[in-house]
Amino acid sequence: MVAISIENVWKYYGETVAVQDLNLECRDGEFVCVLGPSGCGKSSTMRMLAGLEHISAGQILFGDKRINELAPKDRDIAMVFENYALYPHKTVAENMANPLRMAGVDKATVTKKVLDAAKLLEIDHLLDRKPVELSGGQKQRVAIGRVIVRQPAVYLFDEPIAHLDAKLRARMRTELKHLQQHQGVTTVYVTHDQLEALSMADRIAVMHDGVLQQFGTPAEIYSNPVNTWVAGFVGEPTMNLILTEVATEADRPKLTHKGFTIDLDGQLGEAALRGNEKALRFGIRPENLKVSLERSPGAIEGTVYTRQLLGSDLLVEVETGNDHFRVRTSPAFEGEVDRPCYISYDLGHAHLFSAETGQSIV
Amino acid sequence: MASREIVQYDSGLSRVFKVLAQVFLVVYLIWTVSPFIIMVGSSMKDLLEAFTLPRVGDWLGALSFFDFSPTFKHYVALFAEENFGAYLTNSLIASVGSALVAVVLGTSCAYSMSRYQFRGKKDVFFWIISTRMAPVVAVIVPLYAIFRSFGLVGTLPGLILAYTTFNLPFAIWMLKGFFDNVPYAIEEAAQCDGATRLQATMQILPLVAPGIGAFLVLCILFAWNDFLFATIIGSGGAKTLPVATKELIQPQNVQWGKIMAAGVVTTAPMMLLGLLIRRYLVAGLTMGAVKE
Repeated sequence: MVAISIENVWKYYGETVAVQDLNLECRDGEFVCVLGPSGCGKSSTMRMLAGLEHISAGQILFGDKRINELAPKDRDIAMVFENYALYPHKTVAENMANPLRMAGVDKATVTKKVLDAAKLLEIDHLLDRKPVELSGGQKQRVAIGRVIVRQPAVYLFDEPIAHLDAKLRARMRTELKHLQQHQGVTTVYVTHDQLEALSMADRIAVMHDGVLQQFGTPAEIYSNPVNTWVAGFVGEPTMNLILTEVATEADRPKLTHKGFTIDLDGQLGEAALRGNEKALRFGIRPENLKVSLERSPGAIEGTVYTRQLLGSDLLVEVETGNDHFRVRTSPAFEGEVDRPCYISYDLGHAHLFSAETGQSIV
Repeated sequence: MASREIVQYDSGLSRVFKVLAQVFLVVYLIWTVSPFIIMVGSSMKDLLEAFTLPRVGDWLGALSFFDFSPTFKHYVALFAEENFGAYLTNSLIASVGSALVAVVLGTSCAYSMSRYQFRGKKDVFFWIISTRMAPVVAVIVPLYAIFRSFGLVGTLPGLILAYTTFNLPFAIWMLKGFFDNVPYAIEEAAQCDGATRLQATMQILPLVAPGIGAFLVLCILFAWNDFLFATIIGSGGAKTLPVATKELIQPQNVQWGKIMAAGVVTTAPMMLLGLLIRRYLVAGLTMGAVKE
């Protein structure tokens, strides 16, 4: 149990930059998710934390101890791998006992701790089996069991549930979260699944192309994305990001588009004028839009492009001026494909991003 | 898991083929096994009995091959008169010794070839196997010259070194495949579990054990059966069984009984070894090739 500081860390593979000037602070006992698509540098970050790869520049501190030069075994970490990395020739019990044996713990204690962990993960009936005889979910539990038999300073999870089926994933999210809160061990969790990050993390670090985009609580990341990239990556269905032009009419700013115009006021209006930008991206999440078959003042006019049922909700894509708005609505919505419809919005939930840099300007 | 059954349906042609295949197998069996039967049989016969041949066309006369009073005098003579005990020991030391050296060096080299990336790795790898491409006969003379200047000719260490030279490339190629099939993540997991780099490597050795075992046996077989190195580099102080056997053919006297007995003494240990480790050998040779 220790705080982690990642300070100006770089990772190069030859000429390629995998991680660029990364700065992150994880508080003691915090659950931090590193979120990003494949190749964004999140795995490199994790492997540098584990000591499986050298840190090209910068430093990482556990508490106030610099760990750059320490071998994995001296860092007091425990890691769960994406492909579980169980010892195929050892039984479940031996797999889980391995870290304790390495630490020279006496036999009786090892047996007891392994059994305790196995019970917690509900795999105590599998202790004599070999990994080949286990299902994916069971293997994953063994891998977690191997990690929780001892109380390390840091847990590292590298996409541990990416290969499970959707149902099991949902269950493991809950269990992992519960386990982490229970044990209070500082945890870094790498994933490409934004839902995993939003549902489990205390704070999320969103990475893209080796650069940290945003670091904040799930609510902050979701409600106030700092740029179009984060806005588009987090949230499902993804945020609408429509390119519009800025115009002024009688000193009042507005956004114009082939299919619609949006009058801006208050904070958004000031922000739109401040940067002197010609084009802005108008961003709004599908659940903050309303679609109706009846015209209302200020509504955006369009035609229904597709209807997709998402279980409890209906996702309607509306075409307007060559662009599409995704709207999350109730399955009771009656608009059929190609019917005209009207989208109303609440500007309180809208975002504006610079078209040039992608940065949020609000 | 998919079923392992190979589905086949009978047709007229396939039935004919089956019969043909069985005939072929019977002929093949006789072809391969009869030399051994003749060898074992003749080793226990007097010279006169050994060369009894039935008249042409007398097929029943072939049974006279099994009509003899067994004697072990050739075996006794081998060890009492010809010093075969020492040659047997030489063969054992040379083959097991070279196999052990090749395994230790080969495992470490194969491990690094499999795990580490370095400049010119492909070229090094090719160079290693290319040392096996030249026929032994082509290099034996220069090798002899080198060995002589180091005083290694006619010594067991010399012979072990010679065999190792030829077994090592084979070991590296074969074992690299085995290490390639072991995910590196397992070693990384071991390191996170608290193992040092070396301990982590040791953790995965049981996974390549079938490969190491299979290779050990093949090494021993190669050295045990070798004649060329043994006769040129080992001759004198480090005479092995094949060389000793050949020397039983003397210009004025070919000692057939002893030769047959020597053949049995040379063959039996390897057959026994093969039987003992047959299961592992097959597992070892196929495991490297098939990925799970």
